[in-house]
Amino acid sequence: MSLLDALSTPRLRWDGRHPNTVLVSLSLIMLAAFWSLDVVSMAPNRIVQGTSYGALEALGWPGALLATLLLSFIGILAWQPSPRHYRALLAAVMTLMALMPVGLIASSYLLIDPELPQARLGLGAAYWVVLFVLLLCLIEIRLRLKLTRLWPTLLLCGVALVWWLCATLWLDSLALVQEFKARDRQFLRAIGQHVTLVGAAVSISVVVGLVLAMLMRRYARLQKSAFAVLNFLQTIPSLALFGLLLAPLAWLAANVPLLGQLGVSGIGTTPALIALIAYSLLPMVRNTYIALEEVSPDTLEAAKGMGMRAGQRFWQVRLPLALPVLLEGVRITTVQAIGLTAVAALIGAGGLGTFIFQGLGQAAMDMVLLGALPILMLALVVDAGLGALAEALRPGGTR
Amino acid sequence: MSNSLSVAQPRKRAPLWLWPLVWGALLLLSVVAMSAAEPLFRWIEPDARQVIYDRADFYVLLGRHLLVVGIAALVTVVVGVSAGIAVTRERGSDFLPLVGQLASLGQTFPPVAVLALAVPVLGFGTLPIIVALMLYGMLPIVRNTLAGLQAVDIDIKTAAHAMGMTPTQTLRYVELPLAAPVILAGIRTSVTINIATAALGATVGASNLGDPIISGIVNGNMAYVVQGALTIALLALTVDSLFELLQRQLRSRLSAP
Repeated sequence: MSLLDALSTPRLRWDGRHPNTVLVSLSLIMLAAFWSLDVVSMAPNRIVQGTSYGALEALGWPGALLATLLLSFIGILAWQPSPRHYRALLAAVMTLMALMPVGLIASSYLLIDPELPQARLGLGAAYWVVLFVLLLCLIEIRLRLKLTRLWPTLLLCGVALVWWLCATLWLDSLALVQEFKARDRQFLRAIGQHVTLVGAAVSISVVVGLVLAMLMRRYARLQKSAFAVLNFLQTIPSLALFGLLLAPLAWLAANVPLLGQLGVSGIGTTPALIALIAYSLLPMVRNTYIALEEVSPDTLEAAKGMGMRAGQRFWQVRLPLALPVLLEGVRITTVQAIGLTAVAALIGAGGLGTFIFQGLGQAAMDMVLLGALPILMLALVVDAGLGALAEALRPGGTR
Repeated sequence: MSNSLSVAQPRKRAPLWLWPLVWGALLLLSVVAMSAAEPLFRWIEPDARQVIYDRADFYVLLGRHLLVVGIAALVTVVVGVSAGIAVTRERGSDFLPLVGQLASLGQTFPPVAVLALAVPVLGFGTLPIIVALMLYGMLPIVRNTLAGLQAVDIDIKTAAHAMGMTPTQTLRYVELPLAAPVILAGIRTSVTINIATAALGATVGASNLGDPIISGIVNGNMAYVVQGALTIALLALTVDSLFELLQRQLRSRLSAP
């Protein structure tokens, strides 16, 4: 009997006897990380290696106590789960996230000597671990409360707003903020370039992908060879594809004046865009093809029976039904393109990758963070946003 | 993942070992005799002082590349498959939704960003790229392990239970062999992706086949880039065809009477 019970039984027991082991263990992990790893590090200037501080030194008795209480609160509530407790858990997780920058403000008052204007505060391992595990808690709570992806995303946006406010108003000593203030124009331009490149590459590959997938459906022989070519493209490292485009494009720009006038050149945006599209095509074409193929023949038959013409059947039946899977392809493609665009910085395409590679070159880790964190956040936001959109567009609503 | 469609092609009667042998031989040739192709690369880069990357031997680079991908694959397979097994048992089923979400989150993190974030913690060198590859390659393995184990027919498991098998025996002799082709397909995707991604390690000081590419981009020497890209592509094709061989053998063993 136990074997049968173990299979595909939805584990949503509201009876309160079964503790939510996931949240309890996550809470214990956070407590352990909070007390054993360093919370912040402080360096007198940009070059010197910082000294690390634990929870007590960084937050003082009251701060450390408050954090411990909130973290244990998550475990205690999860011991007897119920819908009400899960909502309280959601509130606790959000409060903790919103309080994190406040903790940093406290430690900047406690640790930084006002006579050292160059002093900078770095986030310690405990901060990252707790933040990451809190996100895991959020995912778990979202699944238990059966919320759509939209709500956690909105709540996280609120938290991000709090962080941004704290960072601009009170956290001048934070290393990340200092790096940002030193090059805020560059940073905004880099974000703009990054988003533009990703947007251009994805929108072009959506169109090309749709056309290719439709051609494949018509000519079966094309399908095999096209997938073979696209599969092969993916085995070439992104780094190499960017590099390989340098020479031919430089030659073209030099020898075909019209292209040169259009802004085609060996380094910069053009090779980056071409490589990004080449990489985006496989996931895009594959998902579009599968999406269009998977529409139930019965539905199409019914549409035909209703007297719809071929064009109407495609635009009014097949495409809308294929849209969620198609959007899944757009999501995968976009997330992948956000990461690849970072690599494109190596061939002078700009974008957030510039900070990563400059920072790595100078061994300035805060600058690396300034490039890597926004990329990560961009990827997560796009992932959540497009995922929520695909969920909402699924026929029959969000559930 | 990348091969889900090409697998469905009608089976040709080519010898099983043909493609691994062809790609492997080409890989070996390119690693050992890269300098013999100097005229070809001279044609690509007529003006460069040097056209064959010589800061390290190609077989050394290939060895390091394989080592990085191998370690990452080993850890990913052990962690991914055991996590997949653990959360499909009764006691671990609480963690099933979270592990599924976590694995897909891993692929949302761009490898460059993970690499950059790993450097402050782990320092420059080989370790950050191994961590980045582990995170990036985790999703296909966990997803396919979950899919493979969950697809095992419940009647078969009931039959195993009725025969007096303990849960461990059911797992060892029934579930894992039945799920093996799907799990192997996941490992194949993960390793193939990571062979190409490992080249990024060259940007944080891990010396591997990405080195010629980076140095080619920095010095504007196309020949170096081609050499690195060619070797990596051949390596990916060799490993991929080896997996194809393994999968076919596994399938024919499963379908044998």
